[in-house]
Amino acid sequence: MKISKKIIDNLKKGGVDFYLSVPCKLLANMIDILEKDNDVYYSAVPREEEGMGICAGAYLGNKFPCIMMQNTGIGNSVNAIVSLLQLYQMPVVFLISYRGTPGEPVGAQGGMAKITEDILQTLRIPMLHCSSENDLEKISTFSKHAKVVESPVAILCDFNLMKDDK
Amino acid sequence: MNRFDLLNKIQNILKDNLVICNIGLPSQELYKINDQPNFFYMLGSMGLSSSIGLGLSLSQNKNVISIDGDGSVLMNMNTLATIGNRAPSNYTLLIIDNGSYGSTGDQRTFTDENTSLKDVAIGAGCKNVVECSGDETVNALNKAIDDKDNSYVIISKINSGNVKIDPIPINPITIRDRFRKFIGIVKYL
Repeated sequence: MKISKKIIDNLKKGGVDFYLSVPCKLLANMIDILEKDNDVYYSAVPREEEGMGICAGAYLGNKFPCIMMQNTGIGNSVNAIVSLLQLYQMPVVFLISYRGTPGEPVGAQGGMAKITEDILQTLRIPMLHCSSENDLEKISTFSKHAKVVESPVAILCDFNLMKDDK
Repeated sequence: MNRFDLLNKIQNILKDNLVICNIGLPSQELYKINDQPNFFYMLGSMGLSSSIGLGLSLSQNKNVISIDGDGSVLMNMNTLATIGNRAPSNYTLLIIDNGSYGSTGDQRTFTDENTSLKDVAIGAGCKNVVECSGDETVNALNKAIDDKDNSYVIISKINSGNVKIDPIPINPITIRDRFRKFIGIVKYL
């Protein structure tokens, strides 16, 4: 819970006040925290691409949105990222559980893991890679950066960082 | 009645509300009929008009109308479930259902065969689902806007067919900023 709490605290410190998620077991603690938090909006959504649309609308309405998802969700969302969030220069934080990184027990997750950073790089999306607890301190500044550059940004949280967050 | 006729008919309702308008001909036709700063024209991301409008209605109190099409809703049908569970009372989804992919040459969609978006929306948990003719759409929209306690999904069944029209000449950042200025967020324009 310590890691998840730290992530949410830093996102909130960065101004993020609107959260969506497509669940992942590594995100479960964060979802629990957000469901009990009356200061921010939280909802689950069925699919990441749709979440990009809801985040775009939330930004138009003066919220600072974050969508939490597995790295697989980036694959589901490429057109929405490029032809909506980037076309209109909308700041949105992607909080990504980085499945398929070392420690991952499910071999099939390795495929998307291999290309996740390449996709984000191709999309020119600024990335913050969190592999240790110290990295989490950077999340608030990095989130604010999304607003400054009017762009989506991606925070990648490694499997091993999240897996023991009881 | 085709989409252009319908948009003409409802323009006086649209101009007083925040409108998210579907990519392609719907946006181009609306722009030609009566361009307004409170109209957000989609220039990409087919399928997401319903979702953008939902996010907007959850974030501020003004009424929001998402103008969507049957082809676009079929592309992002999961969002009907999100709407059915999360839409606030200031949200109206207007699906202009002409049974065809208008912007790409009027190929038939599945709503012209076996699929009923009304049944899908009800099954997805949407509460006030109205299927009506083009002529009845004005009343349905007015009712949805006047009702301060409920969100609505209106499926307006019209004929296919488009008018000859140019792409929207304003750039995306202008669309974004004048829209946010209308809401009262952007001060620098």
